[in-house]
Amino acid sequence: MIEVKNLSKNYGDRAAINALNFTVKKGEVVGFLGPNGAGKSTTMKIITGYMAPSSGEVQVAGFDVFENPLEVKRRIGYLPETPPVYHDMFVRDYLTFVANLKGVDKSRVKTLVASALEKTTLNDVAGRLIGNLSKGFKQRVGLAQALVSDPEILVLDEPTVGLDPKQVSEMRDLIRQLRGQHTIILSTHILPEVQASCDKVIIINRGAIVAEDSLENLSKRMSGGGRSIHVRVRRNQDAVVRAIAGVTGVRKVTNAGNSIEIEADAQEETVEQVAALIVNQGAGLVELKVQSLALEDIFIKLTSPGGAA
Amino acid sequence: MRGTLTLAGKDLRNLLTNPLFYVIAALANVVWSFNYMRGLLQFAQRSLAMSQPGMEAGLSLQREVFLAHISYVHLLFVFLIPALTMRLLAEEKRLRTYDLLLTSPVTATQIALGKFLGGLGAVSVLILISFIYPLATRAVGAYPFVPLLAAYLGLLLVSAVYVAVGLFASALTESIMLSVIMALIFNLMLWFVSQGLGEQAGTAGAVMEYIGLGQHFTGFIMGSIKLNSLVYLCSVIGFFVFLTQRVVESSRWR
Repeated sequence: MIEVKNLSKNYGDRAAINALNFTVKKGEVVGFLGPNGAGKSTTMKIITGYMAPSSGEVQVAGFDVFENPLEVKRRIGYLPETPPVYHDMFVRDYLTFVANLKGVDKSRVKTLVASALEKTTLNDVAGRLIGNLSKGFKQRVGLAQALVSDPEILVLDEPTVGLDPKQVSEMRDLIRQLRGQHTIILSTHILPEVQASCDKVIIINRGAIVAEDSLENLSKRMSGGGRSIHVRVRRNQDAVVRAIAGVTGVRKVTNAGNSIEIEADAQEETVEQVAALIVNQGAGLVELKVQSLALEDIFIKLTSPGGAA
Repeated sequence: MRGTLTLAGKDLRNLLTNPLFYVIAALANVVWSFNYMRGLLQFAQRSLAMSQPGMEAGLSLQREVFLAHISYVHLLFVFLIPALTMRLLAEEKRLRTYDLLLTSPVTATQIALGKFLGGLGAVSVLILISFIYPLATRAVGAYPFVPLLAAYLGLLLVSAVYVAVGLFASALTESIMLSVIMALIFNLMLWFVSQGLGEQAGTAGAVMEYIGLGQHFTGFIMGSIKLNSLVYLCSVIGFFVFLTQRVVESSRWR
């Protein structure tokens, strides 16, 4: 659906992105991840035809973004970082305007506006001025704007930024509902968002892709098939740490003050042994949590200097 | 075509529902009605004096009253149109709604044309309001109508020039303040380029005389439609809309 080849963009002397290559298949939900200033927004702006790259090419649904910008734009719904809303328009009028601007069939405008209002649960505020809405609602109007032309592809640039926790979880639910109907690219630097909604992750740092894979594969690869065990005990913590270090399959034990962090291999036996050991020592086990390497750890590993995979 | 009209409709509505438009219309009408009334009463007195036996009844309503009225309308437009057009593109950039326009399936030409038509629509409403004055005068006395229409065609074209200039100024910047000042300066330049040229100015002087709006506008006000003036005004409008189109397009390859 989207093919990016050798894409580079320079702002003056500074390279924002450098020779990016990736593809997104139809129906996929792809998380575009990276620290601030990594080049996420730049890449998205180029895909949407907002700006031209310095070199390289982008194809969307078989159309080249620069040869055939109108065809590409017709197929993309784009939510920029700042929702592009007119403060002196009513929500419904605004969506109708966007639908017309996107060249939607005249007979479908009304239905599409109604369904966009429905999907984003904006019906209650459809008759209000956008300028009077709260930030979260404006963000939702921005999303409704991206949805209103029923595009094949949705490009969402940090859709949850500036929302309160409840609105963030609503936005995630909404994105999950949209999966299957649209191909979605969403950028963020908030990790749980990706974990919650994406099939595939592209991690970008300083303008280059450092990882591109499904979430599972990524965590398997990065941890070398291991897991981490988090343990809390009531007594004899130091003794327990020393004892665990001797268990086969345990790679590293850290005494983190009020808890013990263990890096182990992927065998369930190892976990069993660790647990048995703590109980036998009478240390008073209060908590034991096994987790595969979290996205957060992967992210930090990949984006810290010299940490690329 | 549809993209152009969608944009034009949106901008026209935004302009006409903005309080600024009402302030401008109200203030303009205070000036116009005061001057029109005074002009008309003076005209009535003088034509009474002229109609004494033995005198030729040679006073023209067009030359004595409408000319002054249209000049006032025009004078205010030089300053008011930039205030109307200042937001057309500058505000889109400031509010980041420009992103929406540039990622929608519309061309830069459609954006420039739509914005121009929206602005011209709002100005046309002001022109129609100013047209009420001579129209109302018809209730008290007959006068030849066609020269008046010619004068208003001239007013419309010159206003369209100011809209195109204001749109171009608005495309250049994110700052509304800067946009209005630039538009004003461009307007005054178009007007003053032909001022104060003596006989000795020669060919350069003739060119500048032709470039200035004054000569062309005066022709229309006097009731004559000249082909070269029509071509000139339309070219200036087209030129500034074209420049706007280039500025909008440029954001794609910068």
